[in-house]
Amino acid sequence: MLPAKMISDANPQPIRIKFRKVGMLRYISHLDLQRTFAKVLVRSGIPAWYTQGFNPHAKMVFALPLSVGTQSECEYLDIRLREHMTVGEIKYRLNQVLTDELSVIDVYEPQEKFQDIGFARYEIEIFSPNADEELAEKTKELFTMKPIMMTKHTKSGEKEIDISPLIASLEVGYNKEKNVLAISALLSATPENYLSPEMLITKMKDSFGILSDIMSEHYTVFRTEVYMGDGKTVFR
Amino acid sequence: MNNGYRERLDNILRAVQKPGRYCGGEYGQVLKNKDEVKARFAFCFPDTYEIGMSNLGIRILYGALNRENDIWCERAYAPWTDMEEMMIKYDVPLTAQESGDPLSVFDIIGFTLQYEMCYTNVLNMIKLSGLPLRSCDRSDEMPIIIGGGPCSYNPEPIADFFDCFSIGEGEDALIEFTKLYIEMKENGTYNRRDFLHRAAREVGGIYVPSFYDVTYNDDGTVKAYTPIFDDIPKRITKRIMKDMDKAYFPDKVVMPYIETVQDRIMLEVYRGCIRGCRFCQAGIIYRPVREKSPEVLCKQAKCLYENTGYDEISLSSLSISDYTEIEKLTTSLLEWTDKKKVSLSLPSLRVDSFTKELMDKIATVRSSSLTFAPEAGTQRLRDVINKNVFEDDLMRAVNVAFDAGKTQVKLYFMNGLPTETSEDLEGIAKLATRVVDEYYHNPNHKKGKSPQVTISVACFVPKPFTAFQWEPQDTVDMLNEKLDYLGSCVTDRKVRYTHHEPHTSHIEAVLARGDRRLGRALELACEEGFHFDAWDEHFNYEKWLSVIDAAGLDPAFYANRRREYDEVLPWDIIDCGVTKEFLIREHKNALAEKTTPSCREKCSGCGANKLGGERSCCPQK
Repeated sequence: MLPAKMISDANPQPIRIKFRKVGMLRYISHLDLQRTFAKVLVRSGIPAWYTQGFNPHAKMVFALPLSVGTQSECEYLDIRLREHMTVGEIKYRLNQVLTDELSVIDVYEPQEKFQDIGFARYEIEIFSPNADEELAEKTKELFTMKPIMMTKHTKSGEKEIDISPLIASLEVGYNKEKNVLAISALLSATPENYLSPEMLITKMKDSFGILSDIMSEHYTVFRTEVYMGDGKTVFR
Repeated sequence: MNNGYRERLDNILRAVQKPGRYCGGEYGQVLKNKDEVKARFAFCFPDTYEIGMSNLGIRILYGALNRENDIWCERAYAPWTDMEEMMIKYDVPLTAQESGDPLSVFDIIGFTLQYEMCYTNVLNMIKLSGLPLRSCDRSDEMPIIIGGGPCSYNPEPIADFFDCFSIGEGEDALIEFTKLYIEMKENGTYNRRDFLHRAAREVGGIYVPSFYDVTYNDDGTVKAYTPIFDDIPKRITKRIMKDMDKAYFPDKVVMPYIETVQDRIMLEVYRGCIRGCRFCQAGIIYRPVREKSPEVLCKQAKCLYENTGYDEISLSSLSISDYTEIEKLTTSLLEWTDKKKVSLSLPSLRVDSFTKELMDKIATVRSSSLTFAPEAGTQRLRDVINKNVFEDDLMRAVNVAFDAGKTQVKLYFMNGLPTETSEDLEGIAKLATRVVDEYYHNPNHKKGKSPQVTISVACFVPKPFTAFQWEPQDTVDMLNEKLDYLGSCVTDRKVRYTHHEPHTSHIEAVLARGDRRLGRALELACEEGFHFDAWDEHFNYEKWLSVIDAAGLDPAFYANRRREYDEVLPWDIIDCGVTKEFLIREHKNALAEKTTPSCREKCSGCGANKLGGERSCCPQK
């Protein structure tokens, strides 16, 4: 951290906020989340640094945008301070003006850059009457074969890609008691090669015809950890 | 955890557009332990979440009710059509935003009635709650349903579906009403009828339609309203908050995650309006004018800023520039808002008060467009409607805008106003062309950019408690003909012409001045699945005509008939403070093309001062 008296508008202190977005708030889009945090920073009274342009606003950079429907225990937001405030105070103030479903886990000085993020871990649970040991096996096979071709919708149109290199590891289990297929996946999360866990769901829908009825079957996706390029070191 | 509908609701959210409308969990929502409160109140807004969350009245009443420890007020909105389809398909009832509990378990359900075209949503929300539509079919165990808001000044078309209406300002009335409910529940004397009887007698401003028998003349007009008890008021006088500085104003807002219509601080500066435009219902029913002091307003604004984080404050009132201390208020707000990068906006500006000094202070300057409402195209017609705005005022105002580099001006007008002639319609087009000319004559206009003047024309709908309440509305054919004629007068390519759909305005006119018999038509509409009739894509004129016809009624009787001064009007049961004598005087003045000065220039004796009020401009009685 910079010495308190050195922090100023001209020399702002970078600060990283790790937060969770869970429960019903999984339905809030990234854009709405950004708008929300702009107001949260004001409410908290944290001396956030403002951009100096024509339309001044608090400088905020989010790490990996979360798709609607996915919950997370590891979201990252970088801001800057124009005056000193302790990380403990920042965390306390933010949580005073947030809710349980959107709350701050940790506040610290950034150790790594967002662009050095390599992977993210997801826990996916599929609740389906079709879930069984056999489906677990078939799922495992589906995601270990090479190549795994999928259509990706990008700004420049549709594109056929092989997602198999983007799956670093994937385990599948079947929980008989809960009738749940549990998938734990470590997926590429670099800026150039970000694999959304929703792609895995889509692949399973297409291959097995599951999750077609919204009432009898559903799934949850949880982002649980973000790693550096080695897939082991936790991002900080 | 399998708790039935709640899990089904959760599953549905995956499959609807904009799940953020339904997921709740907003910062600022009030959560209480339902076992520790004595009355649960569901405040319903019969339109989408985005519109409902923007309503200032709900923000106020939600806070006021929740200040009471024994009351828990929650919110509910009309589900959009995709959500409704899912709810019906999977048998999920309408639930409240905070607890997720179905509305049917609440003690009291309140609806705010902001516009007539939301009536089908009201009925649909009752239906989606699994409750019988008609109050007479609901049992003692079911929630009490109460209505309020501007449409409750003539609640007759929806009277059969409500147990009662709260007439006027609800801050005190709703709390007294709910406290009475709690008292009777606690001492074991509660049943629906006795409760409503005591409420009608003891809580001011409560209108219980079932306690008033209506008889009709052979020609279909109302003969009389007869109370069935001797101890309830013969007319229901509206409630007002006498001292706006002391009235409750929320210090926080439930913060939506998704973008809403009014996603900003709304600071209510004063109630009422000094103007008395003769078509305007709000200008009459919210009388008398009662201002807040700038000191109180500044405190409320600062507090709201700190508790919400919004970067915009809208100074909200009927005609904000008429606030006596607007200069002092904006100056003292700007002392801190500028530093905090908070902008001010003024939603309603009269052309005669639009000055450079004012414009420099407000945010609308950032956008390239400004809106004014001359309402009519000639001075003669503006005198008829008592708009008290002159062409020169408009030209001065647009020049202020052009000086500041604006290129777009939007002008609101009405067509179908009483006494309107083709000359008045031509006047609209001429006025717009003159604004275009002013642009080019203005030496400071933005070089190399051409102006755009938009004229937006709404069809006049005569409303209860206005000087025009006796006037027939033009038929749909007449309105269409006039709109076409106006279109043919607009020849300037810098002028863009848009207008409202006369069909909707016609149905709005039927409901606005309707009587109790229209309840049957609305019931049929609900059975046929009408909803979101304020939205063009869901409004079906032919189907409306068919349900009104099936109820044995003629829409022209309500919309297009001239009423006599001595006719008993369905809304005569309500006393809004302003006397019928005043409205008759105003109607005669209108026909004589005579204007009436604003309340501040001279009291015209409307009668509203009998209700009292601090910081008003009325002579005290």
